[in-house]
Amino acid sequence: MTTLTSASSTGRVLALASTEAKLVLRNRTVAVSSMLLPLGLGIFWAFSFGGDDAPSGGAIILALQLGVVLGMGIYVTATQVLVARRHNGVLKRMRTSSLSDRGLLVATVTPSVLLGIAQLVIFAGFGAITRTAAPVDAVPLVLAVVGGIVLVVTAAIATAVLTPSPERSQITTLPLTFVLLGGAVATSVIPLSIAPFQALALVPGAAVGQLVQLSMTGQTWSPGFAGIPLVVPAVVGLVLWSVVFGRLAVRRFRWEPRR
Amino acid sequence: MTQTTTDRPPGAPGTDTSLAIEVRGLQVRYGGFTAVAGIDLDVRRGEVFALLGTNGAGKTTTLEVLEGFGTRTGGTVSVLGLDPATERSALQPRMGVQLQEGGFVDELTVLETLQLWQKLVERPDRPERLLERFELGGKRGTPVGKLSGGEKRRLDLAMAVWGSPELVVLDEPTTGLDPESRRRTWDAIHELQEAGRTVVLTTHYLEEAEALADRVAIMHAGRVAVRGTLSEIVAAQPSGFSATLPAGVADLPWLGGTVEREGDAVRVRTTDLQGDLTAFLGWAAARGVQLSDLRAAPASLADIYHAIRTEEQR
Repeated sequence: MTTLTSASSTGRVLALASTEAKLVLRNRTVAVSSMLLPLGLGIFWAFSFGGDDAPSGGAIILALQLGVVLGMGIYVTATQVLVARRHNGVLKRMRTSSLSDRGLLVATVTPSVLLGIAQLVIFAGFGAITRTAAPVDAVPLVLAVVGGIVLVVTAAIATAVLTPSPERSQITTLPLTFVLLGGAVATSVIPLSIAPFQALALVPGAAVGQLVQLSMTGQTWSPGFAGIPLVVPAVVGLVLWSVVFGRLAVRRFRWEPRR
Repeated sequence: MTQTTTDRPPGAPGTDTSLAIEVRGLQVRYGGFTAVAGIDLDVRRGEVFALLGTNGAGKTTTLEVLEGFGTRTGGTVSVLGLDPATERSALQPRMGVQLQEGGFVDELTVLETLQLWQKLVERPDRPERLLERFELGGKRGTPVGKLSGGEKRRLDLAMAVWGSPELVVLDEPTTGLDPESRRRTWDAIHELQEAGRTVVLTTHYLEEAEALADRVAIMHAGRVAVRGTLSEIVAAQPSGFSATLPAGVADLPWLGGTVEREGDAVRVRTTDLQGDLTAFLGWAAARGVQLSDLRAAPASLADIYHAIRTEEQR
């Protein structure tokens, strides 16, 4: 019985997620802003800065691409979809189905995440074509992608808490998008060998840039401040902000539009 | 279907199996505002129960607590033997809900909406059956955003009754509907009743409660002002008769009820309709007074509703 219930729960999440994906593709505005724009920018940067075989050049491209996918591709889209579904009463309606609250949130944000991952795969292909310097250590890069996705998904749910209408989401998502993109690019090249700069990992999203830098230089486990491996502050930064956004989301998330 | 059995002490809410819903001392407060102020409700299995009241009376808040979406600040609630606050996941497969407002994805077609619902709800049913039942077959390919208000409410009702749940909760199911659409909705509710389902609905329309409900509760300022079967409620209220006197008749007989006179028109509200009417007619016959427009009727739900509203304004 447990297995059957579990399987059908997954089936319900997949059913709603595939419908949400269909809706994203049907909506031209969302398709352009969350698919074509990040994709176009990422490819533009790959060709503009490509061919640089120095690790710093590769780091900037990777950080820009990761930043734009996490920020514009996933964070903004997930926030807009969540707020729009709440505003139209769809979240409340879906709660009257057999879908769990957690499953409902997962299904609603999953298309944005899959879209972002698809964009990253395309960027990796362009990186190979333009012969941009490749990462020497995959571990921090995987941490940047996985941790970055967790961070922006929790941030999207938390931002939805503070966003009263779909129109307002275009404004409420701006600060974190810029901080994330700027922080990731800056920390991808600011040398981590200078101890105080390691603290920049505490800026939301900046840890992504630090992890990109570590993936390019291979200094993942090199000792930093107080002998702590350089990868640790970046991981702490990602986990910390994910927990902060996650707690805000759990405590304050509203399923119904404000009346 | 997932069901949870909870051990409850004898006499506690949820132990009476003849009741679909048992509410004791329900309170809901938002900050300093009290939306529901300690109400008791019993809804029997298989009955249609109507919750009436003015705007802000606490009807929707009460329904949201029953559905497991609202947070109560006091009291106990049992719905189909489960506490909706802690056992919503077990309750959901057994309860259909029609929301006060849509909650549709406008870009999905009617058929896509029902096909999605088919995958999200544990109760088995077929989109085609409901398209036919609610006369939406011709709209299957229409995006929900392009449906009329009445068509949306029909789709809403179709989703609420999907798989014929044990309990159907309808929040103002006919608000904004034209008379024909309203009649169709009433037919659907009658069908649920005949199938032995329990229906709880809120409405502003008195005739709707009169046409559909086995029992009603009228809420006012977060409390239940009146409750019972319609005949019980009506019997407890003063009945009335009225007549128009010929010009120049000044005095009237002594009557037990309340007499209102406006010119030659007389209106009497009384708990002893037979006694007062007999006395009035006897007086008219003895005096040779020719009455016109003589009418007698029990209190209507409208009278009771308006009496509560009048009390509110005092």
